[in-house]
Amino acid sequence: MAAKPMTGQAFFVLTALADGPRHGYGIVGEVAELSEGRVRLKIGGLYGVLDRLAAEGLIEPDREEAHDGRLRRYYRLTQDGRRALAEEAELRAATARVVRARLRLSGTQAAG
Amino acid sequence: MSSDLERRYRRVLRLLPGWYREQWQEDMVAAFLDSWLTGDPAADEYIGKVAGPSSAEVASVAVLAARLYLGGPGTPRRYAWGLALRRAVLAVLLVHAVLAVDELVFLVWSRRVVGWLPPPPASIVVAPGGAWDRVYYLACVAWIVIFVALTLGRYRTARVLATLAMVPNLVALLQAQLTGIMPAPFGPWIFWILVDLAPVLALTALRRDVPRVASGPWLLALPAGYILVYGPLMALQATGNYAWLPDFSGLCCMLVAIACLAHAPRIRSRPGSGVWSLTLVLLAAVAGTFRIVTLTDYLHNPHLISVSLAELIILFVAVALVAPDAARAQRATPAPPPYPGAMAA
Repeated sequence: MAAKPMTGQAFFVLTALADGPRHGYGIVGEVAELSEGRVRLKIGGLYGVLDRLAAEGLIEPDREEAHDGRLRRYYRLTQDGRRALAEEAELRAATARVVRARLRLSGTQAAG
Repeated sequence: MSSDLERRYRRVLRLLPGWYREQWQEDMVAAFLDSWLTGDPAADEYIGKVAGPSSAEVASVAVLAARLYLGGPGTPRRYAWGLALRRAVLAVLLVHAVLAVDELVFLVWSRRVVGWLPPPPASIVVAPGGAWDRVYYLACVAWIVIFVALTLGRYRTARVLATLAMVPNLVALLQAQLTGIMPAPFGPWIFWILVDLAPVLALTALRRDVPRVASGPWLLALPAGYILVYGPLMALQATGNYAWLPDFSGLCCMLVAIACLAHAPRIRSRPGSGVWSLTLVLLAAVAGTFRIVTLTDYLHNPHLISVSLAELIILFVAVALVAPDAARAQRATPAPPPYPGAMAA
């Protein structure tokens, strides 16, 4: 069975959790930083991604902490999530290598 | 103490289904407030009074709500439909298997394979056939194996065998159509589409990770179905009451109607009955379609048209008893928890 393609938002959310658990707004901030401001998740969008990733078993709740009278729930990657992220990163890196090679080739031909 | 900002955002979150809010709302509110509040009490008090969710924030919640109501992956609506569809496919394949058992029983009886059985009436004796008959009876055995494989979660085996088993019937239909010996214009084709082709197409959607049904009751349904359905039919035949024998599409309508009537009293007492209600609605749609199309076979006989319409009315009334529960199932059936303990969290 072919794996479902991962969306850009899901890729960034998983990447944001790769170095440790984060709460909802922490993920929003990390994704904005990782994408250099190109991906700005709204809260509705973030939880649309989080519930799908949780349903697919790629993330799970880590802990809850009280902050200013509100409970922050932290999320972490599961083993499946870590594997899926590594595979997606490899796929994207391989695609980037092909793109760079083709651009170099077309640049050489254009120069020639 | 909740601020105006929090109240405004909670109002927006009312767009989301209740079951989703129960699971995610507090987390969403916390993340939303985190995105606004600074930690400075004076500044936060001011922000709490004047700020509100942006139109982009409202739009993101509206998009999420649309996905959840329309049945995106992991939602109760999708989950209920998936369960109901799997049960409906199993029920259709059960019918196929029961029909196959009936064919094989008559074959065994008419060939006098079991010596102590009384000789069969001449009208049902199956004359020894050629290679084509062997293929036909092999397909009958295959439908029984397909049903058993499906109940045991052997989806790949069921899929491959079903794809092969529907071919003999298709060839027989094409031959009858091309040689002009088709007994009825549409009935045999609609039977093949609804009972052979549609389940095979549905089987392609079953992956290895789809949970298995409880195999025991389904396996028991095969001999029970044969005895409970064919026992009375054979009794009617043996006593000469041919007028009471329904045709196959009429029999399907009656069986679904009886199942609806048997299920209706359990709706209130049994939580989770909604998926069965949805399954019965799907089966009623199949039986009703079959009945409507085969009405064209009786255009020359007003009496049989009246009987067929009566069957349709009985089916419609019976299914109306379970339809509201089926509609509720799409909202109320709990989706599988996205992670262990999530529903409790």
